[in-house]
Amino acid sequence: MAERTQLWLFHAKRARITEFAGYQMPLWYEGIISEHMAVREAVGVFDVSHMGRLLVEGPGAEGLLDITTTNDVIGLEPGRSQYSLMCNQDGGIVDDVVVLRLAEERFLLVVNAANRAKDLAWLRGHAKGLGGQVSIADLTGQVAMIAVQGPRALDVLTAVSKAERPLRSLRWHEFTEGQVAGVSALIARMGYTGEDGFELYIWGATPGEPERALRAWEAILEAGRELGIKPCGLGARDTLRLEAGYCLYGPDINEQTTPVEARLDFAVKIEKGQFIGREAIRRQMLKGPRRLRACLKLLERGVPRQGYKVLDEAGREVGHITSGTFSPLLRRGIAMAYLPPELARPGLEVLVDLRGHRRARAEVVEPPFYDTSKYGRRRRAS
Amino acid sequence: MARYEVPDGLYYTREHEWAKVLEDGTVLMGITDYAQEKLHDVVNVELPEVGARVRQMEAFASVDSVKATSEVYAPVSGEVIEVNEELLARPELLNQDPYGRGWIARIRPASSEELHGELEALMTADEYARYIEELEGKRV
Repeated sequence: MAERTQLWLFHAKRARITEFAGYQMPLWYEGIISEHMAVREAVGVFDVSHMGRLLVEGPGAEGLLDITTTNDVIGLEPGRSQYSLMCNQDGGIVDDVVVLRLAEERFLLVVNAANRAKDLAWLRGHAKGLGGQVSIADLTGQVAMIAVQGPRALDVLTAVSKAERPLRSLRWHEFTEGQVAGVSALIARMGYTGEDGFELYIWGATPGEPERALRAWEAILEAGRELGIKPCGLGARDTLRLEAGYCLYGPDINEQTTPVEARLDFAVKIEKGQFIGREAIRRQMLKGPRRLRACLKLLERGVPRQGYKVLDEAGREVGHITSGTFSPLLRRGIAMAYLPPELARPGLEVLVDLRGHRRARAEVVEPPFYDTSKYGRRRRAS
Repeated sequence: MARYEVPDGLYYTREHEWAKVLEDGTVLMGITDYAQEKLHDVVNVELPEVGARVRQMEAFASVDSVKATSEVYAPVSGEVIEVNEELLARPELLNQDPYGRGWIARIRPASSEELHGELEALMTADEYARYIEELEGKRV
């Protein structure tokens, strides 16, 4: 039996439901394209309570995360978060995570829903050998998580919240304590859409007692009504992250891919000292990887999907699509694939085999896929 | 089941294609209102080649929504003699008018005997309406 999130009562009435990582989640309410465009042009709100939330605390918490994650957690100040990776000894990616430092000895890890049990076991396994006490708790069922994303997310959230720090003063990846419609929440400026936005963590909201989560959710929708806010499902979440060039754990990154191959080395601080996977990653950085993740934009009609073959211009198979979709903004197919490094260069062309129907030309592009002067969180203020 | 349009006089597959026998004995086909509603946001169509020979229930075209690619099956055997090229530029016609301007292909059966045998295997409008009602009933 699939689990339900704190906001199930809302989804059940309004959304097409899909099962994802053991949860019954909204796929879309009104349609993927209109929800996608609401986020690029105004604001949308997502239930992301299926994501895993793990609390790591105690005198040994920092040390545990320092060896199990690749980014610089020691340099992370309370009130800030960072994108990071957990790798195995071979450099394979166990999970990609966001680490929020709540206090000196208290961290919240946001992990992929499908990896929650694996991550818990991984962290607990490595905690045993370490000095310093550390406790690891799974808060997923007790903390609701809502993402408010889009160029007007700041306006909407400011209208319904009170916070210790003004939301507009938060830099990307900073967070503050506050209240949304009177409900206590941790408000973090971050997201997975490429747009400006916030993620809310609402403690004390279980699927059995969803009132606080629902109150915040409804208040956000109400506050954004005039701006055209839309509730958005996992369908739009996927098209938005792909347009932004963000990886999805499972298809795009997994234990068979490394941060170097996936071009996530910005989240790896090799010089910080010992951590799991460091030697393998360092070797690969020096030698150069055999393949690199590339973003592909179709130059012809067609929608690339996971598993489709990628061919070079001579028709030789050089890789396959790890995830692909129709970009609502570009009105064309976009995808990610691992290619030989000499082919993974922006401007080069490859062919995508559309499951036997046709071969469509595709160009390797630098992510994000959209024009960053018009879309995305670094767009010019209009 | 008033929610989905199921015109009388057409034949229907379990994979949600419709087939209409024209006066000249050829068969026009497309996907049903139920299919387009389930797909939502159709953004691309891959059409068969004119001249291709297909067998009944062979996948011979596909339809892309944002989320997924779905096969389209030939409701009857025969030769593809015409495809709706307007769909290449306007795939949304499949959503807007699935039984009209959203038609996909026209097939010429090898013989009327074969055609009538194959139509026996398809559903009438009443049968199809009950079929999708059952599918809906199974939904969570």
